[in-house]
Amino acid sequence: MNTVLGLLVDPFTLPFMARALAQAVLLGVLGGVVGVLVVLRRLAFVTEALTHTVFPGVVVGFAVGQTGGVLWGALVAGLASAALFTVLARRELVTEDASLAILLTGFFAVGVIVVSRRRSYTSDLTAFLFGRILATDTGQLVATLAVFAVVVAVLAALRKELLLRAFDPQGATAMGYPVARLDLVVNLLVALVVVAGVRAVGTVLVVALLVVPAAAARLLTDRLGPLVALAALLGALGGWLGLAASFEASLGYGVRLASGATVVLALVGLYLAALLTSVLTARLPHHLPHHLPGRVLGRVLGRPPGRAGDRTGSQAVSGR
Amino acid sequence: MNYLSRALVEAALVGGLCGAVGVHVVLRRLSFFTMAMTHATFPGIVLAAILGVNLYLGGGVFGVLIVLVVVWLTNRPRADQASVVGVVLCAGFALGVVLMSARDGFGQDLSAYLVGSILTVSDSDIRVAALVAGVVLVTLTALGKELVFGAFDREAMVARGYPVLALDLVLLVLVELTVVTSVPTVGTILAVALLVAPAATARLWCRGVAGMTAVAVPLGVASAVGGVLLSQAVGVAAGATVVLVGCSAFAVSLLAAPHGAARTRWRRSRPGPTPGRFATALAGYRYRRGEEETP
Repeated sequence: MNTVLGLLVDPFTLPFMARALAQAVLLGVLGGVVGVLVVLRRLAFVTEALTHTVFPGVVVGFAVGQTGGVLWGALVAGLASAALFTVLARRELVTEDASLAILLTGFFAVGVIVVSRRRSYTSDLTAFLFGRILATDTGQLVATLAVFAVVVAVLAALRKELLLRAFDPQGATAMGYPVARLDLVVNLLVALVVVAGVRAVGTVLVVALLVVPAAAARLLTDRLGPLVALAALLGALGGWLGLAASFEASLGYGVRLASGATVVLALVGLYLAALLTSVLTARLPHHLPHHLPGRVLGRVLGRPPGRAGDRTGSQAVSGR
Repeated sequence: MNYLSRALVEAALVGGLCGAVGVHVVLRRLSFFTMAMTHATFPGIVLAAILGVNLYLGGGVFGVLIVLVVVWLTNRPRADQASVVGVVLCAGFALGVVLMSARDGFGQDLSAYLVGSILTVSDSDIRVAALVAGVVLVTLTALGKELVFGAFDREAMVARGYPVLALDLVLLVLVELTVVTSVPTVGTILAVALLVAPAATARLWCRGVAGMTAVAVPLGVASAVGGVLLSQAVGVAAGATVVLVGCSAFAVSLLAAPHGAARTRWRRSRPGPTPGRFATALAGYRYRRGEEETP
């Protein structure tokens, strides 16, 4: 028991590991809480797209103002693309997922082209994708704390409206709530978390922080309070376990494991544990469904549930 | 063949293949699934490299596993497709990165994987791409009608007694084959761009599926070949240039095409009383031109 506890605590007596832990736990809680909205509103693809559209901002910010410019560049790109996505989601020329994919790849390609003119091409790209959580400094921690305060304040103030929008968009519209503005708020919150995390932990990890803990918590509970608390807890726990595992592997066994990606794997491990719990505790159905594989595939391939108010694919394609 | 003509042949093959399959990706809204597929086959490729087996085989086997995992998880209570796909994407990619970071040359391999290195394509890559393109195009030609039917009206298809399950699997395997063939040579971002952008652009020009395919395939080929040539002329990353060419075609079509932004109304997402000044003005304009019955 003592050794296990030692493995989880000892690495963080080093100052840089303590800062990394603080950053990981803060971002884990932040990602878990905002992730609840991402999961309830099914915004995983929007989140993934935001992480990539922030990239050109990071690159240009770095070119203009070195390390200090990164945060501002990312912030501008993140907020701009959050607004763009909100407009796109309400405007249906092509299906939303296709326009997201095109924006994502296009923005990312701009970033890659700018980076490819630099000498330190691959190392820059790697740093962006996986971040340098072990190089977290006090300034970054302060920035994360500021984002944390903003996000918590906004969520507390708009809790009721955001939930209504998530569960009953038509009801919210009918009651006269500004649904478009609420959507913009959610996209901006996600963008803020992405910007806060992208320098420390990289794009891949930010998506994981925003999706995995909340999805895991969702497997375990139907109620909102416990959902938020569990998601925050799982996010923080994943950050802690991942950092400890990466540290131990590199010191104890001489295996270099990218710390950001190890945190993601820790989060995925927690998701699997939640999945196992939900499988074990699920009640058996009254009768096994008829032709189960077909129904399952139908869910994946047929009409995705989509948000209420969306037109179905057939209507969207066959003309208006 | 020198490196440039090899790259051009590969670009044309992958562009055409992605354009044809992309039509179905766009119709069935599988963009995020495709994105997840490109990221989640990554550990398969790394494992294949470590074990010394064929990279395409590693990616392909892993891709099938991922399809099964997504299909199973989506049917769990309280799990929705977007979150499941997101989790699978993160899990697969992180696993690949961790496996790779334990080896040397981490950064270089990784950026090649993400943005591709189409200029270093080999003859065997081209043969694989040609083979897969042939198989996929023949399958699409043979089953085109059924696949489109399934995209638009599954219930009717079940009622008519088609083997819906088998056809769905065929489509997923086609998408997977395309991804697995494209990613090792052109990278994940480029594969997604080539799958979605030409087909979405074609959607803006024509509504019929046959027309979409007829536009998307040449457009895919043209974006890929044009992008490679342009990147050589300007001296920037080839894969990213191809993406930008494809996205520019989409942006231009958005403004110019018959079903693009300039010629369609703002979607009426609010049933509320105020449609906004712009929409009102536009509706009034259309009314005066006789295109609409009510102002």
